[in-house]
Amino acid sequence: MKAHARLTACFDGSRTVLRELRSMAPLSLVPRRDTGPEAVVHLVNSATAPLGGDNLRLTIQVGAGAVLHVVAVAATLVLPGPHGTPSTSLVELDVADGGSLEYLPGPVIVTAGANHTAELRGDIAGHLHARETLVLGRDGERPGRLTTTQHLTRGPVPLLRQTLTVGDPELDASIAHLAGHRVMATALMIGEASRAPASGRWWSRTALAAGGTLATSLAPDVVTAQARLEAATSA
Amino acid sequence: MDLAALIIADSRFPGGGHVHSGGIEEAVVRKLVVSERDLPAFLLSRLRTAGALAATFAAAAAHATTREVRSGHWRRLDAEFDARTPSQAQRAASRAQGRGTARAGRVAWPSPALSDLLGECPRPHHPIVLGVLVGVPHDAAMAAAYLAVSGPASAAVRLLGLDPFQVNAVVARLAEPMREVCAHAADVAGHDPATLPAPSSPGLDLFAEAHAAQHEEEVRLFAS
Repeated sequence: MKAHARLTACFDGSRTVLRELRSMAPLSLVPRRDTGPEAVVHLVNSATAPLGGDNLRLTIQVGAGAVLHVVAVAATLVLPGPHGTPSTSLVELDVADGGSLEYLPGPVIVTAGANHTAELRGDIAGHLHARETLVLGRDGERPGRLTTTQHLTRGPVPLLRQTLTVGDPELDASIAHLAGHRVMATALMIGEASRAPASGRWWSRTALAAGGTLATSLAPDVVTAQARLEAATSA
Repeated sequence: MDLAALIIADSRFPGGGHVHSGGIEEAVVRKLVVSERDLPAFLLSRLRTAGALAATFAAAAAHATTREVRSGHWRRLDAEFDARTPSQAQRAASRAQGRGTARAGRVAWPSPALSDLLGECPRPHHPIVLGVLVGVPHDAAMAAAYLAVSGPASAAVRLLGLDPFQVNAVVARLAEPMREVCAHAADVAGHDPATLPAPSSPGLDLFAEAHAAQHEEEVRLFAS
């Protein structure tokens, strides 16, 4: 299945309006009503996406002055397709100077046999707060293959470029990757003053070189990972 | 392999690399690495993440010395390495080693490319200055990839009193993955810096930050 969903938020002088809101199965964008000057859109994935063979794309644009929250209502299960066909997802973020986006896509669970490539590309002149949680397999399940890439820039300035490949048992358990944990959660804050580094046993917060803050936690389960991420962002 | 690459990869090279453990001291403190048996997985994962990143940028810097690069190229390469190194502690360790390497390199291998690099980036990242000094993409990648594992391996010997023969054998068994990492680094060396690979190592980043915080409070043998 090929799908391209689009969402454009602009500021009309008094509040954030959704100038474009185009869902395309299996990506549904559901705006919430009565959210005041800020806009809130729920991201609803169909239960069986992405599936091997799917190419999903989501484009989010936020204009100057607009404040948009995009919040997933559930976790995403990355599932295998017939004959191991790979799947891809691309999320493009464009936040103008003076615009603000909170992007909370929910945990991504890489199920056995999946073969998925996920990419997040963002040109962030304004403010971005993104939280991502990666889960290697359902309880007791060996994960399939996932390559996840983040490319975040501010115009020509690179802010963060990272690629992580999971699904190689040797590397998954290694200290360099998830140090034997099943869940990694990250919070990325761009467009606000960088915060001083801080760390605990399984979480850390670090300042990016060109501005921005990245918090990371590792844990055996989602609840613990999110609690540790909370510690990292509030410490 | 060129003599410059051998000298820089030698642990006796006075570039200051001996004070960095590549995250293994933190792993030892946490008892995640306790014996020779834990080393292969640690070193292989380091090679395929932080080592691959270092090899890529060393090869890219070496490639840039062989062609005409516009003014500002070194700053771009530096910014792209920064963007692939989210851990502030890792960036500091890389720049500290870069500075030591540049100091030794200025005496041993002065060149217009080195002057251009240091003109644009007075405190260069280690793989980038290494690449400029070696000047041959594949050799530069080999030196950088080797240092990414030889440093932690010798640190493990000092921290845990491991058998140096066993540890040496563990490093020797990395020949095949190291060849793969370096071949790939050399293949992409001439690409636009923005599109170079960006292998991440969230575990090592987390350990580097923890090590830096602990280093302030208690005595650690290594700076990173």
